[in-house]
Parts: sequence; structure tokens; C-alpha cells
Amino acid sequence: MEQTMLHIQQFSFALEGNSILDGLSFSLAKGEYLSVIGPNGAGKSTLLKCLMRVHEHGTSRGEIRLKGRLLSEYAQRTLAALVSYVPQAGGWVPPFTVEELLRLSRYPYLAAGGVLGKTDQEAVKKALYLTDMHMLASRRLTSLSGGERQKAFVAAALAQETEIILLDEPASFLDPKHTAELNRLIRVLHREHGVTMLTVTHDLNHPLCMEGKILVLRQGRQLFFGQTQEMLRKNILEDAFSHQFICFPHPGTGRPTLLAKE
Amino acid sequence: MKRTHTFFCFVLLCGVLAAASPFWGMSAISPSSIWTAGHPDAEIFWRLRLPRTLAAFLAGAGLSISGMVFQALLRNPLATPFTLGVSSGAALGASVSFRLGTFLPFFSSLGSLGAALAGGLLSMLLVYLITRARGGFSTLSMLLAGVIINFFFSSLIMLTQYLSDTRDSLRIMHWLMGSLAGLEVFRIADLAFVVIAGALIIRHFSMEIDLLAAGEELAASRGVQTVRAKISIFAAASIIVGTVVSLTGPIGFVGMMIPHICRLWLGWAHRTLLPATFFLGGCFLVVCDLFARSILAPAEMPIGILTALIGGPFFLWVLFKSCRHGELF
Repeated sequence: MEQTMLHIQQFSFALEGNSILDGLSFSLAKGEYLSVIGPNGAGKSTLLKCLMRVHEHGTSRGEIRLKGRLLSEYAQRTLAALVSYVPQAGGWVPPFTVEELLRLSRYPYLAAGGVLGKTDQEAVKKALYLTDMHMLASRRLTSLSGGERQKAFVAAALAQETEIILLDEPASFLDPKHTAELNRLIRVLHREHGVTMLTVTHDLNHPLCMEGKILVLRQGRQLFFGQTQEMLRKNILEDAFSHQFICFPHPGTGRPTLLAKE
Repeated sequence: MKRTHTFFCFVLLCGVLAAASPFWGMSAISPSSIWTAGHPDAEIFWRLRLPRTLAAFLAGAGLSISGMVFQALLRNPLATPFTLGVSSGAALGASVSFRLGTFLPFFSSLGSLGAALAGGLLSMLLVYLITRARGGFSTLSMLLAGVIINFFFSSLIMLTQYLSDTRDSLRIMHWLMGSLAGLEVFRIADLAFVVIAGALIIRHFSMEIDLLAAGEELAASRGVQTVRAKISIFAAASIIVGTVVSLTGPIGFVGMMIPHICRLWLGWAHRTLLPATFFLGGCFLVVCDLFARSILAPAEMPIGILTALIGGPFFLWVLFKSCRHGELF
């Protein structure tokens, strides 16, 4: 039987009286991949933040369940042992070394004071090798390129050893080569390690090549949730972005590809 | 590895200088004479120089580690006990107590210590409330609140001074320059207790500080209860600053320079950064104090003036450097 990892029922969220998310309902099974798309200001990043419980001062209605348990019942540490996060690319990075960043990911498993045990060090090492970042382990994040930094953050999420990874526009601001590399890494992690992933993205072709489900948001409302094929058939994107798109098979792979009309 | 080596040598040098400093000053004391009971040099050493050196070390260490905390949590190298208004709060408390002490014996018995500590905590509370009113605990809000509090309290200090007679006004002015002279031994014990306890609390939170420095969202996603952690860490740092400032007057720039230098050498893991900052900050102020009491001998230069003379150009250097790199660290 498929285990439900994330179940969201009539979830709404408001900050200082402004409704940001309104009546979201969907659920994800263990190991599924969800792409969240929608125009700017649709509430995509807010959804991720609600899942991490960053917004302490907003008001929410409805419920979010993780593995059957209400999100609000989790202690922050227990939640962190279940959900990890890859921040948006192109932001400020702390001047830690790659390894230091990964070590910080072990926080949910450590006693106060923060001394890493053997299993923690092994998790860090494993994440470094999986992402091919072991060569750069002692480099400072500030000295890395945008693509390498993003890989370091993915490695950090891996070192946290969670069942769910949230990614907030992981590839924006990256050049095509690094975007492709990052997507390949995400695909490997998803397929071979069975991690449930939620990715917020502006790249409409990202969900098409990830073979997962898709959630389309507009102004905080859920416009669509389901398979990508169905989304294409129903012309959801025109509605969401108020813009025309052309869908054609990719000349190389034959996969459906989207292009915004001029 | 080579970097850490150089740093270690530097720290060792500072340690030796600091350890030797009670033997220097207006008159040099030979190490052999301090064990001779009744020898005047022994009296000077045990009664005056050693307590003063200890006080300088503790004050420097306390200011440096709290500066380190403020810099990390606000992600800004210019965030110090001073820019956040904690020092001006403490200074206002002390000034008011000097002024009121002339009318009301109660206030003078309470002393400038309690008043300054209360002032420091009051300003931290105000910064906290202003930041909360602006919604969330963004770095910008906190720095802005600090600047506002600073201006406001500075004018209140000037008002207090204006309303005082010449004697009190001079006392306030002298206190505002910062000095380690005339600190009683039992006060040094208080100082030691607060600084060491504060350092242990900060050490307990070292991983939280790392994570908060990396960003609040990241910290929350790694399991840190950000609001609670921030309040505990800020409270510990503010109590250290409040206590140090109330005993020595505002000694500026130590809390900015020392952690900044340590970061350049050791990086950002606060578990290793903390002891280095503690030790180097202590040694730095001991050496500054040595200069303060020997440059103009037999007169004594207020140590706050000396640290500000070194710190001002350093502050500018940090400012220009961070502008050039387009980032704050």
C-alpha cells in the first residue's frame, strides 16, 4: 500500500490580514515528485515556508498532515528530521565551508552544544560523495560559483537525511549547463533514493521532464493538481499565466516541451 | 592549516603580552619581588595591577563575545553593542543615577551599576519591541531600531548633563569615556561571574548561532526554534554588555574589531570562534589598558578614547572593504 507522505486539506494562510494561500487540498504519496508552478506572487514559496513552519506569526486554517500527523504537533527538531530545505539560488550565502554547511544539517539529531557523532560524520561524507562535492568540501561557499553553491545546498539537504526535500527555485539564476546538472542530480536523488520532493519552479519545462505531479497556483488558489499530461490537455497554463503557450514534442527526446508565445 | 598556525602564534603573542602587562606601567615591577611580603611592589602588584588586569581581560572578553553574537545574528559586521543601543542605554542609566544621586541617597546607594544594567536591558527591550512592531525579526529592523534608540538616548544623556551641576557633569563625562581605574575587587568577581556564565550560555547555543547566521529560514528548516533561540542568545549577550558597560563605562569598538579579526582567520564555526574571540578580546583590552596607563604617565588616558582611536579607522576599513565586495562579510 502506498503511504501518504503529505496530506493538505482546505489549507489557507494569511499574513497580517492578507490572504496568501486559499483552500489548498492535495496529497502526495511517499517518493512522489511535485512541481509547484504559478505566476509571481501566487504563494508558491509561502507554501514551502508553511511546510517548514517558518511563518510563526501568520494565521492558518485547514490542516496539513505529514505522515498522518498534524504539522502543528511536530516539534521543530522532529520536523527537521523529516523535512529539509534547499533555499532559492542567487541569495546571500554564509561564509561557511561546504563541509561546515553540511555539518549544520545534523542539528536535528544532535544534543545541545552540537558535537557530531560517528553516524553524523558518515551522513555528511555520504552526502558529499553523492553530490560530487567532496573535492570542494573545504572551500568557502562565498568562493564557489552559483551552480556549485546550489549543489552544496542540495548536499546539505541530503545530509539531513529526511524523507521530504523542499526546493525553492533551485535553478533560477543558473546558466543552462548548471541547470541541467542540478536537474540531473535532483532526478537521481528522487529516483534512486526515493525521496519525496516538492520543487517550486519558474521553469515550465521542469515538471515536464521530472515525471511527477504538478500543482498550479494563481493568487493563492489551487488552479490544478494532477498529472502533467492532463494539465496540458486542459490548457491550465493559459489560465494561470494569462498568456498563450505552444506545446510541441522536443526534437531530441520527443517529450512535450512548452514555449511562451511572443 | 597555515592560517590557523599564524593565528595561533598571534594569539600566543597576545597572551604573553597580556600576562606580562601587570609588571609594566608607571613603574616596572620585577617578577621576583611580588612574592616578598610587605614589599611595596608586591602591594602594587596584588592590590592594583593584577585586579585591574583581570578586569580588563574580562571586560574585553565579554565585549568581544557579545559583539561576535550580535554580528552573527544580525549578519552585519557593524552590528555591535554600540550600534544596537545597548551601550547608550547603559550610559543613560549611569548618567541618570549620577544626577539623581546628588538629591536622593537611595539612588547613590543603588549605584550606577544597577542603573546602567537596567538601562542596557531597557534599550534591548525597546529594540526588541520596535522590531516586533515592524513584524518579524529582520536584520534591518533591528539595526534601524538600534540607531533610533542610540540617537534618542544620546540626547537624553546630553539633557541629563545639561541639567547637572559642573561636578556631576564632569563625572558623567569622565564615565562616558570609559575607564578601568578604580574598580573594586568585589565588582571584579561580579564581572567574572557574568562574563563566564554568559560565555557558557553562548557556547551552549553555538550551533544555533551558526545556523541563525546562515539565515533564519535555513535555521528553522534545520530544526532551530528561531524566536526562542534568538531571544535567549540576545539576552545573554545583552546582560554581558550591560554588566561590562556599567562597571567600566562604554569602551567602544572592541566588540566589533576582535570578532571580525577572528572570523577572517578562523571562519564561521562559532564553536571554535568563541574561545578565540574570548581570549583575544581579553588580551587586546589588557594591552590597551597597559598603554592607557603608561602613555601619559603619571596621568592616565581613558581607555575608551584609546580603543576608539584604534577602532575608528578599523571601522572605516571594514566599511570600505564590505562596500567593495558588495557584501557585508
